[in-house]
Amino acid sequence: MSNNIDRNTSAITVTNLNKTVVTQEGELTILNGINIEVKQGDSIAILGPSGSGKSTLLGLLAALDTPTSGEIVLDGVALSGLNEEQKAALRKQKVSFIFQSFMLVDTLTALENVMLPAELAGVKDAKQKAQTMLNRVGLSHRLNHLPKQLSGGEQQRVAIARAFICEPKVLFADEPTGNLDIVNGDKIADMLFALNQESDTTLVLVTHDLHLAKRCARQLVMENGHLSEPYADNLKAAHVSAEHVEEVN
Amino acid sequence: MEWQIAWRLFKRELAQGQLILIVLAITLAVLSVTGLARVSERLQVAINGEASNFIAADRIIDSPVELDSQVLTVADELGLAHVTNMQFNSMVYSGDKFQLVTVKAVGEGYPLKGDIELSNGVTRALPSKGQAWFENRLGGLLGYPKSIELGNSELSLTEEISRLPDAGFNPFASSPVLLIRLDDVAATGIIQPGSRVTYLYQFTGNAEQLTAFELQAKPLLNNSQRWVDVQSGDSPIASAVQRAERFLLLASLLGIALACAAIGIAAQRYCQRHYDVVAMLKTFGASGKQIRVLFGLHLSLVTLLGIALGLLGGLLLDIGITAFLPPEIAAYSPPYLRPVLLGVSTGLISAFMFSAYPLMRLLAIPPLRVLQRQLEGLQLGMWLHLLLSLAAMALLGYLYSRSLALTMTVVLAVLLLGFLLSVLGFVMIRFGHGIGMKTTNPFQLALAGLRRRARQNAVQLVGFSSALVLLLTILALRQDLLNEWQKQLPENAPNYFLVNIAPEDAKPLNDFLSLNHINATDIYPVVRGRLTHINDEELISGKQAENGAEGRVGISRELNLTYRDTLPPNNKLLEGKFNQAADDVSVESGVADRLGIILGDKLTYSIDNQSFSVKVASIRQVQWETLQPNFYMIFTPEALAPFAYTSMASFHLNDAQLAADGSLLSANQVVLQLIQQFPTISIIDVGAMVEQLRQIIDQVSLSLSLVLALVLLASALVLIAQTEAGMATRQRELAVLRTFGASGWLLRVSTGIEFALLGAIAGLLAVIVAEFALYMLKTQVFELVVYMHWPWWAITPVAGAVIVAILGVWRCRQLLNMSCSEMLKAG
Repeated sequence: MSNNIDRNTSAITVTNLNKTVVTQEGELTILNGINIEVKQGDSIAILGPSGSGKSTLLGLLAALDTPTSGEIVLDGVALSGLNEEQKAALRKQKVSFIFQSFMLVDTLTALENVMLPAELAGVKDAKQKAQTMLNRVGLSHRLNHLPKQLSGGEQQRVAIARAFICEPKVLFADEPTGNLDIVNGDKIADMLFALNQESDTTLVLVTHDLHLAKRCARQLVMENGHLSEPYADNLKAAHVSAEHVEEVN
Repeated sequence: MEWQIAWRLFKRELAQGQLILIVLAITLAVLSVTGLARVSERLQVAINGEASNFIAADRIIDSPVELDSQVLTVADELGLAHVTNMQFNSMVYSGDKFQLVTVKAVGEGYPLKGDIELSNGVTRALPSKGQAWFENRLGGLLGYPKSIELGNSELSLTEEISRLPDAGFNPFASSPVLLIRLDDVAATGIIQPGSRVTYLYQFTGNAEQLTAFELQAKPLLNNSQRWVDVQSGDSPIASAVQRAERFLLLASLLGIALACAAIGIAAQRYCQRHYDVVAMLKTFGASGKQIRVLFGLHLSLVTLLGIALGLLGGLLLDIGITAFLPPEIAAYSPPYLRPVLLGVSTGLISAFMFSAYPLMRLLAIPPLRVLQRQLEGLQLGMWLHLLLSLAAMALLGYLYSRSLALTMTVVLAVLLLGFLLSVLGFVMIRFGHGIGMKTTNPFQLALAGLRRRARQNAVQLVGFSSALVLLLTILALRQDLLNEWQKQLPENAPNYFLVNIAPEDAKPLNDFLSLNHINATDIYPVVRGRLTHINDEELISGKQAENGAEGRVGISRELNLTYRDTLPPNNKLLEGKFNQAADDVSVESGVADRLGIILGDKLTYSIDNQSFSVKVASIRQVQWETLQPNFYMIFTPEALAPFAYTSMASFHLNDAQLAADGSLLSANQVVLQLIQQFPTISIIDVGAMVEQLRQIIDQVSLSLSLVLALVLLASALVLIAQTEAGMATRQRELAVLRTFGASGWLLRVSTGIEFALLGAIAGLLAVIVAEFALYMLKTQVFELVVYMHWPWWAITPVAGAVIVAILGVWRCRQLLNMSCSEMLKAG
């Protein structure tokens, strides 16, 4: 399952990224001069209060949105030169997603939901792969259940299986435990990190949850459109305490 | 791969009931088109078939001279069956008795349609050579001789005719009919150059042959030759059939429009439900092409299922209706091709045109929606959607009805509704700002709800109102048409005509009729005369005009003129005043139009070689369909006093009525007595024809009721589709209100009021549009009297409020009974 990766190569390089939108009150800067480099196989958490621009950044990194200025290079491909179709093709080949609200197709079974990205990518044995993935997330007994017949935790496990089926280079997770209770949230996080490790996938995780963020190798804090890495040297010595981050949220 | 995903989505969504609405909407559109087209074609073929029995053919060319052989060659080339007949008046002799008869000399193959009814049963045979069949009146007049002399021939009288299929309806054809073979005519030596004779060429064939024949043969005819079909003018059935056909067309058209509205709403719902799926698929890298193929296939499957179910339903509908039809109608089975093709194209066109805009929006959903749920991407104006929908409706309408007037009326009505709704939408948004969300007063809560959902409500109102408009239009037209027919053919429509009533017989006849409790129409004096000049300009004949003569073409035959002081019943004065001065004449509007006669014109007539002039004082509209004596020209008694006249009248008589009046005699016995007492009066029995007419009208009424039922079904579907569409947002709002402490009672009442207000507004709009549509339809298509339906203005808004409120609260009942957490979770 593991990708053959070089941990010194960049999975994502962001240079001087800006995003502004025009609102009724005038121009609003959401992201201001963002620079990051994420190595292959790395895991980073982006923390920050609501409205700080975390999700916007995630959208840009995952080639779902277009920046106002700046450059993003995803697995060696500069996004600025791509049109929507090329971006879609890039996403198909290299990235995957996990969402807070699971985003499962509610009329398809667990198995069919997991098969979906593989089928879109033209994978031949999509069904078999999906079964294996569901097996790995402990849902082999729930293959033919519809999302509404599953608990929240189970639905997110289906989403995780779906995220890994195409062996992505980069996995973007948007508050993956946000809709779950602590026990289920922890289970999901365990599963996510375990699979991530096994697959050597680069993980970009957006969260409010410092506890979850701490499980990533790096934590970046987003505030007022600026990104910093306060815990880079020593997480415990950082002047922003976990309580403080929680307060900000 | 996309095919597999599309099929899987289709299968699952179908099983989970998510596609019911859109499939049902397409099914209904296809079902109503296929079913109604089939039923109406069956009725049309049957009605025309039954009616062509009236003229014993599908088409007749009526000519004073032998027809150009080219016309018959055309008929032969097209494969039409045809037969040549001749008709002329002549004297027949039997011993010392003689009688003027109408000789009908028929060719082999007569009658092409219908049967000859003899006194001893129905036959398809013809008299043998040297034989003549006689109308029963003639037998009585001549004392039932074995043979008669006609010109140089002696013919044996072998059979008594009860009714000829093309006996037609002309109360002035007072001489009895003698039926002989065409090849016996020459031997009689009666027909000489210049003899007055009518050639009747009868044709029959299928619809395409007849259309081609009409196109090729009509230009070959001259002015003195008349083209006759079942629907041409004078036939009393013609206008009934035409109106019924148009009504069926219109009703189906409106049915389609409704089903299309349902498809439109359902398609929008369908697309909205897939916004997240598309965003997710795009996020996972699906290309634009993959999404297009996937949803194209998905929607095609939905459409195909709808079409298949619709065709099945349409055929079942046809079978169901046929079971209720009388066997002679049910026996007609026109080909399935057109109804099926119409159904399939309706399904395809409506599904794709109505879902084009929602689908475009669906495909344009940005992948970023997975993170920002409010994103909807493409915001093309609603005008595009409306334009596409209107185009689809107009295209379907025209395809189906092939009538521009009908199609335009529907399109104009839709435009009016759209205009009213946009005004209303503007008013609601502009003036509703002051209304807050007080959670204590259900009325204010309802108003706030209405304002908040102004845009959505405008869309919902389209559905509610169009359903109501269609219902009202169909109801009103159906009622008007039935009333109109009922008026023409009341239960006591005359079934006997009396003609050739000598002036001295008028009084004794009146006495006889009242003694037998018979209510006859007025007795109309009849004077035969010819119109020779208009404003001193001599009128020319059609033949003269054809030969290059200049001038106004008159009526090249003698007219039946009458006189009376008062306007006859069933006549409507259009212009002027009815016969005030002695030299006034009242002219029928059709003939006035044809001859270019206007009020004040001086008309000169020749009666018994005497010439006299009168002034046009009024123009009348005559309902030719009524079985009453009707006249082109009505004079004052003074004007026609100098001339000899006979009279005519008509009355209704049946056994039941006689029995009710305490008479011991049957209708036949009374008529026999009448004949014996007044041997010179001719009695024409039109009972069979009246019966036939009534039967046709009954059949048409049945189809009208059926159409009404279908429209009701379509309306219900639109209403359900409408409430369905607003459920999701409503649920969220209810959840919030509940959370903030609104009581169940408050929510139920405010929801009820909100729906009731919507229903009332829809009702009001519907009345306005329905009155407009009815005005257009009655003036442009149906030629019916226009009047306002005042009670509707009160009833419809109330009924709309009640129906929509009940439906809305019923739809929301689950939501209203849920707890907060259930609601929030479900949302």
